[in-house]
Amino acid sequence: MKQSIRAVLLLLLASGVWASCTQKAGPQNQYKTMLTFNPGEEAKIEEAFLSLKDSTSIMLKAGNYKFDNLSIAQVNHILIQGEGHDKTILDFSSQSQGGEGIRVTDVKGFTIEAMTIKDSKGDLLKINKSRDVTVNNLHAVWSKADSTSGGYAIYPVMCKNVLIQNCYTEGSSDAGIYVGQTDSAIVRKCKAAKNVAGCEIENTSNAQVYDNEFYNNTAGFLIFDLPDLSKRGGHVKVYNNYIHDNNFRNFAKSGSFGTTWGVGNASPGSGIIILAASDIEIYNNKIINNNTSSITIASGFAVDEKAGEKINANYSPIPKNVNIHDNTIEMGPEFPKPAYEHRIGQLLVATEAKLNELDPARKNKRIPLIMYDGITSNILTKGTALNPDSICIKQPGDNVFVNADFLNIANAAKWKPNTNFSPFQCK
Amino acid sequence: MRKTYIFGSLILFSIFLSVLTEQGCKNKTTTTTAAADFQFKEKLSDYGFFKGKLTNLKPDSGIIHYELTTPLFTDYAVKDRFIVLPKGAKIKYTEDGALDFPDSTIIVKNFAYTNVAHEKIMIETRLLVKDPKDKNWKVMNYLWNKEQTDALKHITGAKVPITLLDDQGKKYFTNYQVPNTNDCKRCHIKDGVLTPIGPKARNLNFNIPGQKENQLSQWAAHKQLTGLPELSKVHQLPVWTDTKNFSLDQRARAYLDINCAHCHTKGGDAYNTGLFLDYTEQNPDHLGLKKAPVSAGGGAGGLDYDIIPGNADQSILYYRMNSTEPGTAMPELARTLTHKEGVRLIRDWINSLPKTK
Repeated sequence: MKQSIRAVLLLLLASGVWASCTQKAGPQNQYKTMLTFNPGEEAKIEEAFLSLKDSTSIMLKAGNYKFDNLSIAQVNHILIQGEGHDKTILDFSSQSQGGEGIRVTDVKGFTIEAMTIKDSKGDLLKINKSRDVTVNNLHAVWSKADSTSGGYAIYPVMCKNVLIQNCYTEGSSDAGIYVGQTDSAIVRKCKAAKNVAGCEIENTSNAQVYDNEFYNNTAGFLIFDLPDLSKRGGHVKVYNNYIHDNNFRNFAKSGSFGTTWGVGNASPGSGIIILAASDIEIYNNKIINNNTSSITIASGFAVDEKAGEKINANYSPIPKNVNIHDNTIEMGPEFPKPAYEHRIGQLLVATEAKLNELDPARKNKRIPLIMYDGITSNILTKGTALNPDSICIKQPGDNVFVNADFLNIANAAKWKPNTNFSPFQCK
Repeated sequence: MRKTYIFGSLILFSIFLSVLTEQGCKNKTTTTTAAADFQFKEKLSDYGFFKGKLTNLKPDSGIIHYELTTPLFTDYAVKDRFIVLPKGAKIKYTEDGALDFPDSTIIVKNFAYTNVAHEKIMIETRLLVKDPKDKNWKVMNYLWNKEQTDALKHITGAKVPITLLDDQGKKYFTNYQVPNTNDCKRCHIKDGVLTPIGPKARNLNFNIPGQKENQLSQWAAHKQLTGLPELSKVHQLPVWTDTKNFSLDQRARAYLDINCAHCHTKGGDAYNTGLFLDYTEQNPDHLGLKKAPVSAGGGAGGLDYDIIPGNADQSILYYRMNSTEPGTAMPELARTLTHKEGVRLIRDWINSLPKTK
């Protein structure tokens, strides 16, 4: 009896300590300090941002606010909240310095939700080196979709545990939603339109992208790995998205022709582009009317001849283990006009022409839905396997796949894009 | 009966315990918050750093006035730098990074400009304090009043319209940007820790113009600095303007170090860019040679590479240093004018680099 009483006592003691201390940490929506502001109180709000103590929520009531820029640094458990994307509007058109409208640095536990932020000179919302980040019901837009717009609308970078949901981005001259060098990220139920790239996952590992709609961008969705960065990406799942009508001209700063880096490389008319990224699964998406290439799989060599010199633990230019299955894919009858003016677009136009020239039986069909640049690890290993990097595709139809043979594209006589699908079909 | 009694008292006891532990948790949080809360004074004059008229910035005895081999450019501001050590405390020499300052050290940096009448007009004074309670550095800014009698604590930053003369006496009008306290943190945070940027041994290792003895040796002689090795063993950041003693490459790299590398370094605010401009960086990719940008967006001006050896005009590095447009201009903060002399140095340097294929 005594023993059992002692056991019960211990248990109670333990649970008492546990309950009282975990309650302090509390559920996400409990904050020690809760501040509320109205339009017209911008100076007070700026000061509040700069004086934040751990565990503070800031409510911005409905209305229009004008800011130069806002920043939060080195403080934990912060909520910035509006009354809805159509009610609380933050205008950064008077930004006079810095790289972004809102800058968040080194914050653990950051949530921003229910407002519109717009028209900064640089990026709209950059979240650097933070963890447990939630961006919810945020609209991040530039009124004009041209090269004067900032680069990224929603931009977490070097973060851990990021959730972006129910957001909308428009007008970014680079990517609307851009998750960079981050581990563990979810992008869901978001929309992006009239950006150069709707959404981009870059050097980011363990990402899931689902239930989104990316449309009317230059390119709908990108998964990129770039060299010389802090970490490698990969392990990205992309499903249940509706990626359609991404045929917008590439309005990245250099104009329609495109720089040789980043989204400058994205041809108008691209649905999904995988660049140098590995361990990717793309399934159950609707990928409709992206009229240059529904899905592009390209190596780092396609954009950088020196990619091989940059191989290290954080970078491998050859995409591996790419699994594409059970998507609904359709393309329109012709390339979008802006593709003809774009450096990579021209290569794809040429690929279609070459295929039809090599094989009259194609009867001038469109370029196949999935374009693989065909630069495999064989160039590093001197191997000869037809599919050494485990590209696996399971999609119905007869014009699904082309190996565009980019290695030989500069040599018209040797260049042989081919549609031999069987080595790449999922076993 | 007995059972009820036991359970009753158990429940009571456990409530008592939870209240107790609750209290324990609360106490813990309040004490840690209190300890972290360093209090800055309201006015610059409250600290008593300076003797006589405040604008003369004549340091009280024991306060060290110091200079850097190559300084950060801030709109042609005239800067005065001081280190305030607690009585009897000493700085410990460190080979890399900021010197090891004792607790309660205050580093003071005053920013002024030269007006058209060639008078020195005070704008702001920045303080870095090493909090003795948690050993962390804290930042604060003081904005000078119009009367130029004192500077008042100011956290939100400011735009101060000024007409200034540059080093050649050329006149400029600008809205000088006083940084807010988060701006301060952005440049001063490395690997999540706020640290001083300027006072590294290598940046202090020289004779201040007009002085016969090396700055660090003077500190050691005055017993303000311990552990200083023979000067020949102390690294030196080149003086960016000293064309006699330093090569173009050395001067340009020194300039990039002090103007860019507080962010453009591993662990710095621009870690994500992969462009690292520390004086000691040797990897050509990280230095930007034929390196494509990562997230420059429109800030790259449509150019392809950070640095194209031999071609400054097509190099993003030069383009951004030569711009004053927000979103393009580098450094991003605390600069509204182009530093003509600095930009010329970087242009000459890029143009001097051997062209690659």
